[in-house]
Amino acid sequence: MAGLDIEGVRKVYAGGIEAVKGIDLTVADGEFVVLVGPSGCGKSTLLRMIAGLETISDGEIRINGRRVNDAEPADRDIAMVFQNYALYPHMSVRQNLSYGLRNRRMPKAEIAERVQKTAQILEIDQFLDRKPRALSGGQRQRVAMGRAIVREPAAFLFDEPLSNLDAKLRVQMRGEIKRLQKRLGTTSVYVTHDQLEAMTLADTLVVLNGGRIEQAGRPLDLYRRPETTFVASFLGSPAMNLLAATVSNGTLCVGATNLAAGLALADGPVMAGLRPEAFLLSPAADTGAFVLDYIEELGGTRLLHGHVDGQQVVCQMPDDRPLADRMEIKVSSSEIHLFDKGTGIRIDQSPDIVGAEGRIA
Amino acid sequence: MVENRPFLTFLAHLVLIAGIVVVAFPVWLAFVASTHPSSAFVSGVLPLWPGDAMGETYGRMFTEGISTSGAPPLGLMMMNSMIMALSIAIGKIVISIISAFAVVYFRFPFRALAFWMIFVTLMLPVEVRIVPTFEVVANLGMLDSYAGLSVPLIASATATFLFRQFFLTIPDELVEAARIDGAGPMRFFRDMLLPLSRTNMAALFVILFIYGWNQYLWPLLITTDESYYTIVMGIKRMASVADAEPQWNNVMATVMLAMIPPVAVVIGMQRFFIKGLVEQEK
Repeated sequence: MAGLDIEGVRKVYAGGIEAVKGIDLTVADGEFVVLVGPSGCGKSTLLRMIAGLETISDGEIRINGRRVNDAEPADRDIAMVFQNYALYPHMSVRQNLSYGLRNRRMPKAEIAERVQKTAQILEIDQFLDRKPRALSGGQRQRVAMGRAIVREPAAFLFDEPLSNLDAKLRVQMRGEIKRLQKRLGTTSVYVTHDQLEAMTLADTLVVLNGGRIEQAGRPLDLYRRPETTFVASFLGSPAMNLLAATVSNGTLCVGATNLAAGLALADGPVMAGLRPEAFLLSPAADTGAFVLDYIEELGGTRLLHGHVDGQQVVCQMPDDRPLADRMEIKVSSSEIHLFDKGTGIRIDQSPDIVGAEGRIA
Repeated sequence: MVENRPFLTFLAHLVLIAGIVVVAFPVWLAFVASTHPSSAFVSGVLPLWPGDAMGETYGRMFTEGISTSGAPPLGLMMMNSMIMALSIAIGKIVISIISAFAVVYFRFPFRALAFWMIFVTLMLPVEVRIVPTFEVVANLGMLDSYAGLSVPLIASATATFLFRQFFLTIPDELVEAARIDGAGPMRFFRDMLLPLSRTNMAALFVILFIYGWNQYLWPLLITTDESYYTIVMGIKRMASVADAEPQWNNVMATVMLAMIPPVAVVIGMQRFFIKGLVEQEK
């Protein structure tokens, strides 16, 4: 068990392409950190640098306080789970699990004991003598995790381990990974592009964009208080609506439509981040600003796709609410996230401005 | 396309049978010829059914040979051919898998150049470079030796290329997983590449064994000592005797015997052979 320190780590590929542009991250002992971001954001590169599969151009990585920049992957006391499992196809499950231990010249009896224990934890003990090709996708996934667990490393590294599974199995394995990590208490770094996977698994969620950390923190904090439009639009499904809006006299307007009043903010153009579930819609035959385009039924709720003043808006609401082609649209002011129009950085409503303007609209 | 019409079935069988007859008839004739006494060929009419001299001819050829046409006993020649074919096949596989390993998994200066130089030798078969090769072998004193028979033929660009292509299909993650599991390059070679290339090696062995067994020009050139003659050149020597009728029964018996080892290798390894050509265990 150990912590992981990443300090000013950069990765510059031959040809000058900078995939990771200076990342500082501290992972506490036993913490489950999820790196999430779109493809090309450097999350996999960062993970591979921790694993030792990529050289580190600049900065320092420490595992359990020991600098590992120049250590071989095998000497870093980490174990990695790969996206396509990377099981050794010609070895039985038992040999797959024990290979790393055999290479470390562990006594046979101890290997057998560890393999048995790991197989029981993962419920793969009845497949131990099968070859990987005789296993289903979920079972292979377990074996891949078993190969990591059996080593009892300081840290687990997961590289999109669930993306080859079908949707149902993915949810199930997601739960198992979480349960397993809690039980073993091993420091873990998990890379995914799936924001739902990231939200559900993480103790600490790190959103990466263009080789930099966009925001890091507890998943719910990021969800509730995204610091940038990127984080705002990345987390949550369906994604947050980002509307070009203006604030005037504390009223948030999209085009000519007043969405909410009572904002404590200086006048000017802003980006308004509004979650689909934040809207209050009521049918209004001719005057409604929200023009309904089409509906997606999700069962208990439905998604209304429409537009307000030419901007696409997605609203989510329970399926017992009345519908109309045009609807009145309102947002509770506590549900509004505001971002700077140019930089995309969060703007906090400040009580001072209310005082200065002397008005609560 | 799956069609089931009686006429087409008939046609398909007709074509197949015709093909088999065309291919197999000469082999059958050779077999028939080897079972008749040599006098049967002087009449000018080829018999179509086996005669009664089979045991005698084969027995004589195998143990004594024909001293008049300078052929040692077939047993010895087959042994020579076997040694040559096996050393070529095994040597080629060993050398090419190691060089493919080096070319694919190591970053060294002039790696691409090394690979292309190997590749270019594809264009230089033995026949093209036979004079300089002979010179080298002669200077090294390897005439009339097993080393002289096999070593000059042992490098193989084709096999190197084949192994390289196979190694390139092995996913990077597998290599990385092995690295994390503490396998150094040599251990990776032994524990991953060798077992994974098993079917490829078997397929190559079949091809290369036959290649080695059928070598004619090279053994003819470098052996003057009868005890290093290979069977394929033995056939030729018997068929072209001076001032006498070729003894076709003896020649054909030699041919039949020379065919057995390659056929045995193909039949014995065809399972791996087909597997190696069409699928890879991954």
